[in-house]
Amino acid sequence: MAELATTWLGLELTSPFVIGASPLADDLDGLRALVDAGAGAVVLHSVFEEQILAEQLAVHHFVDSRIDTDAEARSFLPESATFPVGADPTLAHLERVRAAVDLPVVASLNGVTPGGWTDIATRMEAAGADAIELNLYDLVTGFDETAADIEDRQHDVVSAVVAAVDLPVTVKLSPFYTALPAFVRRLEQAGAAGVAVFNRFYQPDVDPDTLDVDRHLHLSTPAELPLRLHALALLHGRVGLSLAATGGVHSGRDAAKAVLCGATAVQVVSALLVGGAPQLTRMRADLVEWLDEMGYRSVDEARGAMALDNVADPHAWERVNYTRLIQGWRPRSTGT
Amino acid sequence: MTDVLTAGTVATIDANEAVASVAYRLSEVIAIYPITPASPMAEHADEWAVTDRPNLWGSVPDVIEMQSEGGAAGAVHGALQAGALTTTFTASQGLLLMIPNLFKIAGELNAFCLHVAARSVATHALSIFGDHSDVMAARGTGFAMLASGSPQEASDLAAVAHAATLRSRVPFLHFFDGFRTSHEIQKISTLDDAVLAALVDDADIAAHRARSLSPDRPVVRGTAQNPDTFFQAREAANPFHDACPAVVEATMERFAELTGRHYRLFDYVGHAEAERVIVMMGSGAECAHEAVEHLAAQGERVGLVKVRLYRPFSMERLVDALPPTVRSVAVLDRTKEPGSTGDPLLLDVTAALVDALGRGTLAALPRIVGGRYGLSSKEFSPPMVKAVLDELTGDVPRSRFTVGITDDVTHLSLPLDDDFTTEPDSVHRAVFFGLGSDGTVSSNKASIKIIGEHTPQSCQGYFVYDSKKSGAVTVSHLRFGPEPIRSTYEIRSAGFVAVHDPGLLDRLDVLERAAPGATVLLNLAAAPDEVWDRLPRRVQETLVAKGCRLFAIDADAVADRYGLGRRINTIMQTCFFALTAVLPVDVAIDEIKASVVSTWGRRGPEIVRRNVEAIDAALAELHEITVPAAASAPPSTRLTVPDDAPDFVQRVTRLMLDGHGDRLPVSAFPPDGTWPTGTSRFEKRAIASEIPIWEPDLCVQCNRCSMICPHTAIITKVFEPEHQDGAPASFRSQPETYTHELEGLAYTVQVAPDDCTGCGLCVEVCPAKDRTRPKRKAINLQPADEHRDRERTAFEFLRQIPDVPRTRIPRGSRTLALLPATFEFSGACAGCGETPYIRALTQLFGDHLVIANATGCSSIYGANLPTTPYTTGADGRGPAWSNSLFEDNAEFGFGLRLGLDATARRARSLLDDLAPHLPAALVAELGEPCGHDDEQLTRRRQVVAELRDHCSRMTEPGAVALADLADAFTNRSVWAIGGDGWAYDIGYGGLDHVLASNRDVNVLVLDTEVYSNTGGQQSKATPLGAVAKFASAGKETRKKDLGLLAMSYGHVYVASVAMQARNRHTLQALLEAESYPGPSLVIAHSPCIAHGYDLVHAPAQQARAIASGAWPLYRYDPRRVAAGEPPLVVDADPVSLPMREYMEQEARFRMVEMRDPDRFTTLVRAAEHAVRDRHALYEQLAQIRLPEQEAHDG
Repeated sequence: MAELATTWLGLELTSPFVIGASPLADDLDGLRALVDAGAGAVVLHSVFEEQILAEQLAVHHFVDSRIDTDAEARSFLPESATFPVGADPTLAHLERVRAAVDLPVVASLNGVTPGGWTDIATRMEAAGADAIELNLYDLVTGFDETAADIEDRQHDVVSAVVAAVDLPVTVKLSPFYTALPAFVRRLEQAGAAGVAVFNRFYQPDVDPDTLDVDRHLHLSTPAELPLRLHALALLHGRVGLSLAATGGVHSGRDAAKAVLCGATAVQVVSALLVGGAPQLTRMRADLVEWLDEMGYRSVDEARGAMALDNVADPHAWERVNYTRLIQGWRPRSTGT
Repeated sequence: MTDVLTAGTVATIDANEAVASVAYRLSEVIAIYPITPASPMAEHADEWAVTDRPNLWGSVPDVIEMQSEGGAAGAVHGALQAGALTTTFTASQGLLLMIPNLFKIAGELNAFCLHVAARSVATHALSIFGDHSDVMAARGTGFAMLASGSPQEASDLAAVAHAATLRSRVPFLHFFDGFRTSHEIQKISTLDDAVLAALVDDADIAAHRARSLSPDRPVVRGTAQNPDTFFQAREAANPFHDACPAVVEATMERFAELTGRHYRLFDYVGHAEAERVIVMMGSGAECAHEAVEHLAAQGERVGLVKVRLYRPFSMERLVDALPPTVRSVAVLDRTKEPGSTGDPLLLDVTAALVDALGRGTLAALPRIVGGRYGLSSKEFSPPMVKAVLDELTGDVPRSRFTVGITDDVTHLSLPLDDDFTTEPDSVHRAVFFGLGSDGTVSSNKASIKIIGEHTPQSCQGYFVYDSKKSGAVTVSHLRFGPEPIRSTYEIRSAGFVAVHDPGLLDRLDVLERAAPGATVLLNLAAAPDEVWDRLPRRVQETLVAKGCRLFAIDADAVADRYGLGRRINTIMQTCFFALTAVLPVDVAIDEIKASVVSTWGRRGPEIVRRNVEAIDAALAELHEITVPAAASAPPSTRLTVPDDAPDFVQRVTRLMLDGHGDRLPVSAFPPDGTWPTGTSRFEKRAIASEIPIWEPDLCVQCNRCSMICPHTAIITKVFEPEHQDGAPASFRSQPETYTHELEGLAYTVQVAPDDCTGCGLCVEVCPAKDRTRPKRKAINLQPADEHRDRERTAFEFLRQIPDVPRTRIPRGSRTLALLPATFEFSGACAGCGETPYIRALTQLFGDHLVIANATGCSSIYGANLPTTPYTTGADGRGPAWSNSLFEDNAEFGFGLRLGLDATARRARSLLDDLAPHLPAALVAELGEPCGHDDEQLTRRRQVVAELRDHCSRMTEPGAVALADLADAFTNRSVWAIGGDGWAYDIGYGGLDHVLASNRDVNVLVLDTEVYSNTGGQQSKATPLGAVAKFASAGKETRKKDLGLLAMSYGHVYVASVAMQARNRHTLQALLEAESYPGPSLVIAHSPCIAHGYDLVHAPAQQARAIASGAWPLYRYDPRRVAAGEPPLVVDADPVSLPMREYMEQEARFRMVEMRDPDRFTTLVRAAEHAVRDRHALYEQLAQIRLPEQEAHDG
């Protein structure tokens, strides 16, 4: 039977399946079941910079501004010295997870600005994180910042976090970089230990009935995987970083594709939110079966076999492939 | 927060905190109930217990909130009998509720200390402010009574009281003046643990415990005694009371040894050979101390005796304290006993001196007169002290007088010399005008602490709040100087005046208190060269006349730049320190930043960062404005109230609105507390910076905007189209198109621009969007400055358009909002979730509504003067409203029902007597029930008018009486309204009894799930998982199911409603409850600021409450049994939202998650269980078919 154990971000993993940043790790019993089902590592729910700031400001506005406003009521909620607003609950949870399970635990940090984030990264390290996943999440809506400005800022965030902790730092990227390889190289130079492609950032829908913006998040589908495969194939072997696939891995075969394109770790969320631990058991078994069928002795052996540098026709990963597909595509309905 | 629990020797704190610190450390059990102004003592104790701070013996006291002060006293009594060191805190009505137990506790000689922030007892009106009427009502209980006059004294004498009660076995009531002392911040020497330990004798504690009830050495207490023994046994305790003064004296001496601060039972200050002496107690004695010393220094032979130990009253020590030269004594009481030969302290002093004369220890009896002062925190100032002493110089001083008011009815008041001042020039005085929401008070508290802790100066901070819950004005009075500050009165002449809200420049005479040459700091959104021209003429004139220096800053712009919203406090605080130079500016700024870190650091670095940036930016934006030689603004045309306002409003309300209520003489007031309704319309506060503006082209006439408005500041109205003839251009309308019954009428949506608080709920619920630009709705918030004048004109026009007949408007969930409301422009919080229910009641039943209102938020916004929101319709009818107490409201409403029924019975009896002389059809019709709908009521009023007409032409005996009582033939809809604190806790016993009766009383519970008015203490309505004061870790027990308890009677109509999300259901429930001929209970979900979220989201959050099952919707109607149906109908859909998704939206739940995520998860699960259980129970109950006769058994 093929060996699934591997090394990601310098961490020993019993399998390449990593529980992605999500509520999956919020429940310790649920997490234990996933570990038993063969998870190799777990990424905890992200600490969101904007969310924490928004909550701090909201509490300041709706709790603090109600203090000393009325002759009868000194305040309207208990004196809140004991109720910090910030990352504390996440950090406390990290400590509990660390104590509860015996596998690498990755803390996730989701922010856009340098500064206070190094503080939280340090506290994550102290709380027992084995690595930090830095989710570079930037929803650019203004006209006054160029792509270069944003990449510079993100580079600075990564540098600052890398400098602040003695842990490996992996960076979760969005798919929309004009020059992904160059930027990944900059991250490598900044000291990152890995990148994960790609985050599934906020994609609001619109509700045509209410004329509202629909803020619901939807689960991923396997259709999202090829975008990741493409990026992995471009990066594998060309940067010295641990690569992880995230988004669209729903089956053992999906995992196999990601590994073939260069992923050391495949992060899974949506499939497990639906199928739970039994789904992970199936995915793991399917991956082993595929490796065995293909004659790979280990997952490491299969890694990168389909990457740009290794594939027989590298142009297939490049632009020409894209144009061919476009030209080959025909509308399913020609309309009337 | 200053840590006074651990050995700090100097702290800048108020008396509540100082006293709580002493009481906490010397107690093991603290059973409390919240009541203003004593609540903070209990809250401090709770906070310390939650954070595991130990008492003097290393254990954490058990801090328990009870269901009432009566309950707290009972728990205290039990804890004492079990040997625990026990304390509690209370005031006013709370103390009155404790009195039965106080007699018991004293009768059994329990060592116990009760701390009272003395407050007025409600009489003709409620007052939260300070006087001695509560403690004087307890003077017969057998408690020792010890009075403090300042935070320092309160801290010290609290310790003396605890020690003395243990030694003497006489329980102690230690009191200090509510607000004036309880809330006044002073720099004081705190008592460290070593002092307390040295003061309290372990042997006394051991003896206290040895007296406890124990089955190991059983005794019986609380026997019933008979005429043969009771009297003697009562006298058997005399030695303890006799010995008590000496015990207190000895304890005070021991205290002096430990601290260097000397107290006596009666402290004398003043001229050594004084001839005129005042005797008084409490904070007024501090002011008198200042004035007497001032006069004595000028050679006047005047003095002051401060009473410390009022009970047991040491006649001997009083005589000792008086200088032998005394020729006249004025005894000042801060209470009133109508009909007595004198107020209580006067009687005690008189008796003591007469007794001394008789015994020969006093050579001659001085002339003794009695005066009353300071009721309900009425100012007591040096001119009043001087007026009293001046009165004593006369040959025939008035034997009974009042001081501080103008009594033009019984002519008891003394004239004042307002120019008399005693404050030394070395005292810096600063006054700040702010809004409650801008943080002015908080930053001033921080400033006074900075000064207190970083300079050797004495300091004092006192804060005055107005009576509104939205847009409230605060006035902060800060003093600091080298000598002790005894000025227990507001600052009248300030060297520094800051106005933090520019709107106040117009509304209040903010510079009245400015001293000549004062520095004036304004927050104004104007460039420096535009500031002067923006000032009202009155302000300009005063600046010129008083030679003030003027500084201005656009603090809102600075706050906005750093994302602080309207929180300008740290910016203004920085300017204060820069302009007053009490500390080097850089030191002060560092300290402000440090206080930001200590106060808000826990919120996270971002809050600190933004404040620090704003502080650093402040001084660059502060500009001195040259004051020209003369005022240049045109004279103001603003009238406080319009010329056509009623006479009472012109004479009385206007002065109160101008902040000059103190000037009103006794004759201005109705003698029995009666007050006119409908005066809130004259209070034009204009507090909103943005107001909603209607866009008729988009409007779908759903009326949600007016239905949800907490302040009736959006009016939706239908009217005959011809009434818009002559309308101003700003008034807009459109044909009513939604309701076919109203076809042909015109429809409008109009904001009351001066009454809107800008909460935004109307915009939030508006469903109509511009299809091409969805952010434009049918109603949108717009800058008030740009729209107010136009909307004022339109609103005034709307007010005079006649209503269409009520009977024409159908009772649908949409059209409810077209009925005129008789509840408008209350002072409730912006976004209040209670007031829409009350407005709906007035829209449905306002012209025959009688309301009994429990004390709480709804009584405060319902009738806290200066104005009243209940009003009348065009026919002059409207709700009649009364507040009795907190605890008795159901009974009070029941009594109203009984009284109305009695009147109706009398009317029917007269009708029967006179029936032979009246048309038979008329008599027959009046013999039938009136009916509940408008047509029936209108018809009945016509019949009553006919009856009156007949009566007026009759000569038979009883005809006049029948005409007088004829209105009793119409329906009277009696509603008892109150919050959950009343219905679930303090008033539950009475509510239960009233529901158990079969009388037609309707009960509306405005359930905010917490004590809202006193600041968020848990009630039994607090849901599982919510944080509240006294449930800081999140409540572990389920919310009491008040509705289910009521249903258990079978004959009670019960509904649980949520109006913001389910308006139609609420309307149905209110109509059913009103028409039900027996008792009805409607429990109404009421979003509240105590829930900790932006109330603009309340409709969505209420929908989540329903979807998660957290708030049930149902109607239990006993009438359905007769139809063979189950009486209970569950009206909510099955649970469709995880409980967590409801709970995590509100800070009260979220706080648990931030502190302890596992506990949060546990509590969420427990809450889900609770909801499932309840839902299952209701679903099963909703299937139950009861035998029909049970409905009639009642």
